Amino acid sequence: MSGRAFAVLALEAARDALRRRFALALAILLALSLLWARACTGIGAEISLNDQRIDPALLAGFLAPLLFSVQALAVLLVAGVLASDHLARPLAEGSAALWLARPVAREVWAGARLAGALAVALAAGAVLLGGTTAMLVSRHGVDWGPALAASLATAFGALVVAALAAAASLAVGRTAVLLALGVGVPLQFFANAAGLMAELAGAEAPMPGLLGAIDRFGPPLGTAVFAATAGWNPHVDASGVLLPFLGRLALWAGAALALLLLGMRRSELVR
Amino acid sequence: MFAFELAAATKRYAGGRPALAGVDLAVPRGAALGLLGPNGAGKTTALRLLLGFARPTRGAARLQGRDPYDPASRRGVGYLPERLALPAAMTLRRFLRVHAALVGLSGAAAERAVEDAAETTGVRDRLGERLASLSKGLAQRVGFACALLGDPQVLVLDEPTSGLDPLGVRDARDWIQAARARGATLLVSSHVLSEVERTCDQVVILHEGRVAAAGALDALVEPGGTLEDAFVRAVRG
Repeated sequence: MSGRAFAVLALEAARDALRRRFALALAILLALSLLWARACTGIGAEISLNDQRIDPALLAGFLAPLLFSVQALAVLLVAGVLASDHLARPLAEGSAALWLARPVAREVWAGARLAGALAVALAAGAVLLGGTTAMLVSRHGVDWGPALAASLATAFGALVVAALAAAASLAVGRTAVLLALGVGVPLQFFANAAGLMAELAGAEAPMPGLLGAIDRFGPPLGTAVFAATAGWNPHVDASGVLLPFLGRLALWAGAALALLLLGMRRSELVR
Repeated sequence: MFAFELAAATKRYAGGRPALAGVDLAVPRGAALGLLGPNGAGKTTALRLLLGFARPTRGAARLQGRDPYDPASRRGVGYLPERLALPAAMTLRRFLRVHAALVGLSGAAAERAVEDAAETTGVRDRLGERLASLSKGLAQRVGFACALLGDPQVLVLDEPTSGLDPLGVRDARDWIQAARARGATLLVSSHVLSEVERTCDQVVILHEGRVAAAGALDALVEPGGTLEDAFVRAVRG
């Protein structure tokens, strides 16, 4: 019964996410992001610096990860924004009581709401990342392989961000959750990028300070994507780099889901 | 086995007085209990504890012999909340179909249950409409359709006639009595004493989170008196 209940509720949660005003904003954001990607990938391959012609493969190896990472960041933010009230809103409005009066475990309902929000975010991500990669492949001749690996990393990251946002929404208001998302996710990405650059620059010690701590102990949202897309750079050997970061993301996803389900189990329906 | 049980149940919300203070309540299967009390007496809190929406601060709650947090305890339970919040963007048919699936019905049986519940509660011609477009009275009928879906053996109704016109009130009484006739256990929380008088045989009167009076309706109401007299006596002392 719980598997069927989960499927029924998750489908309804996805439909609910699509019926919201945010869905229109999401469609506009998708179109704008794809237009931006089109403009970025339109950069000519004939670039010279100090009369030296830059290798087009090198240009693609720099442009493609950068562009893909920015789009992946947008997917993570969309997942977080959708999840930020997909659970809390029906609880606050009182409509959750009707579902939870049925023989449905709270954890099943919460998981289904998260799955519904995540399904919409990932569908949008598939369009955005797929469209961006198609442009990179056709205009710059890069391979699909790193994009698929980076998409997997983005999907894991989206699960982490959405579950954390949903868990936080059980304790604090939506504005606080959106603020935390708007600051936290880009900061994590920035810390990961800074850590990676420090490593590439040959730093022997780990990056110090708060940024270093965020890079080392936070969910490797950016690092996993950077590691996957590094495969596009002909001068970087990225083989085997991704797996540990995916493992760390999976651990974070497990922890975030556990936090959400625990929060849901402890929460009380007061309306 | 009791359909509902509260054993010395106390519920205190953060920073407030106890909404319930040591309430004992046991409703046998097949009984019809009316939960009465002035505003803030703790009626809705008692229902929340019994349905597993909240945990007692002290004491225990049981639904069909189980911890109400156990989903199995809510099998065969129909619930109509006081503040009915319907998912506005869904159509009525979709809403009832999803509930039919959660009750465990599928295929033709689910479709039949949806049609039957809508027909019984007079909203069959609204099945294709979005829930947001319904008036308060129609929404309350939809709430009843949802609660009665699949012929539940246990019905929990919180202010069931809220928002209904006189015809709707009469219809609601008929639905409740039909549920009783097929052996369903009934727990009705209401301000409307006459409705409780017509549909229930047991009464518990709550006041300031405590049981002020409880017993069979006949025993509570003195000869020549009314339930209102019994209510005032219990609350004002």
